[in-house]
Amino acid sequence: MQVIKVDPKKCTGCHQCELWCATEIASVAKELAGAINEEPQPVPRVYVEGKKLALQCRHCVEAPCLDACPNGTMRRDAETGLVYVHEPTCIACWMCVMVCPFGIINPSPTYKVAIKCDLCRNMGYPICAEVCPTQAITVEPRQDYRKVF
Amino acid sequence: MRYVLIGGSAAAVSAVEAIRSVDKLSPIDLFSDEKTPLFSRVLLPYYVAEELSKPLLNFRSADFFEENKVTAHIGVRVREIDPQSKTAAADDGNTYAYDKLLLATGGNAIIPKIPGVDKEGISPLKTMQDAENIYNFKGDRAVVIGAGSIGVESCISLMRRGVRVTLLEQLGHVLPTVFDDEAAGIIRNLIEQMGIEVITGERAIEFTGNGRVQSVVTSTGEIECDNVILSVGVRPAVELAEKAGIEIGMMGGITTDGGMMTSCQDIYAAGDVCETFDIARNQIFINAIWPMAVEQGRIAGSNMAGQDKQYGGSVRMNSIGNFIGIPAMSMGVTRTDECSYADEECHFQEIKKRTQNTYKKIILKNGCIVGAIFIGVGQTQRSGIISILLRRQIDVSDYIQALMSNNLNFMDILPLLRRYGDKFTEPEYKELMDTGL
Repeated sequence: MQVIKVDPKKCTGCHQCELWCATEIASVAKELAGAINEEPQPVPRVYVEGKKLALQCRHCVEAPCLDACPNGTMRRDAETGLVYVHEPTCIACWMCVMVCPFGIINPSPTYKVAIKCDLCRNMGYPICAEVCPTQAITVEPRQDYRKVF
Repeated sequence: MRYVLIGGSAAAVSAVEAIRSVDKLSPIDLFSDEKTPLFSRVLLPYYVAEELSKPLLNFRSADFFEENKVTAHIGVRVREIDPQSKTAAADDGNTYAYDKLLLATGGNAIIPKIPGVDKEGISPLKTMQDAENIYNFKGDRAVVIGAGSIGVESCISLMRRGVRVTLLEQLGHVLPTVFDDEAAGIIRNLIEQMGIEVITGERAIEFTGNGRVQSVVTSTGEIECDNVILSVGVRPAVELAEKAGIEIGMMGGITTDGGMMTSCQDIYAAGDVCETFDIARNQIFINAIWPMAVEQGRIAGSNMAGQDKQYGGSVRMNSIGNFIGIPAMSMGVTRTDECSYADEECHFQEIKKRTQNTYKKIILKNGCIVGAIFIGVGQTQRSGIISILLRRQIDVSDYIQALMSNNLNFMDILPLLRRYGDKFTEPEYKELMDTGL
């Protein structure tokens, strides 16, 4: 399974990933100047907060958001193993928000839909990794920790 | 191996998925007394409100049973199970043999013993049939009895359909099991602004009417109405278990061990029907909510298929969603006196933060979170961080400021998680701990 890795030695906390995630995925304009002036403001799916480290959905092995979703809107892609929101059926009950241990599911007040990283599954390659100026964000296979411990 | 699953909602479906992740071939027979398969019970108020049509109530695709090679007996009730001969007798006239059986029979709506409660136009909201009845209610005046989650959501659903609604609650405030009185006050204001009449501290004494309900007599007055929704709670549906001699606990649910097995060998229970260890209350409790049913179903299913998984315990969690216009949620206990087995050694703390329309409260017992309430935009997004600290019972004494901050974020509490690294062994946590931040 491929997941996003962030190298803390390279991450400078520049917020480029946030900016481009919001522009590319969430904005109507799809270009920066337009996105910045848009109302409602586009919401990114990656957060650089507290420390110099970009934080996205971890795509947990046992994902609490999958358990909590009462109508199968939160799904795991059978092929990639990634967890994503099937937006058309989201009823904005915020159960997933309440159980996400990383706090990275955003309850969109405007569109009544839960917003979270899906590794840009409709684009092929995550935009945050593409735009990171120091290549701190990379896509790598998930390490199997059960073998380590 | 032959599996028989009784129930067709969250716990049973989750058990199917767990069994099939290990055992691809053994026959599974699933029985559901609901005629409609795979609909999500918690969405019924959305159906009544005309926000979701019937197909959108499904929580798995229509071919779920076929895909998982499950023989689904939809609309078939199991009459009796015999643990001696390991068989289940269904009302289709057949008897089914099992090696492992799951009781995921859920709960029954409580019908209060109030004179006239059997009149026409009075219904709980639990089954699809109930939802259809309420959807087809005639008249423009309704009373909802009981201001729990389903009660409040029912009110708003009917109000959106143009019905004038009165919400009647016998306790002092709305959502008594979900919020403290301060949070409930915010919610009450919001639903009153929608045009719903809220009466608290009053009981329904009688339903009048000739065949059909015409009014609800309360302790101080009388409310005219065409319809009544009863939402005074659910009780575990333990009839089958009782008849089979399976142990029922103090709270009225089926008792389970750490692997979700009942007192009877090879019979498991999961979901609203069973009692589990409540982490926040530190006692056995029934937490009849969707996410716990899914978790318990997964543990039960895995163990039925030969694995050895232990359930870490349950926690009550409720989110009122977009029904009231702002996000509002709570988890664990809402007041310190809900914690049992407290002795003089126990030190409780309540920390609150309040603005006009937002509210946040966490309750600590000996430094560990046992309850939390979040109301309003900005307060709810990071509530999941609190939920994981609650479920793993982490001492947060020196992180209270960070947890109450409006800028609460995961990276700030990462050092705390690392301190309790043995409780966070999953790869998704290890990946972040490895960063050394």
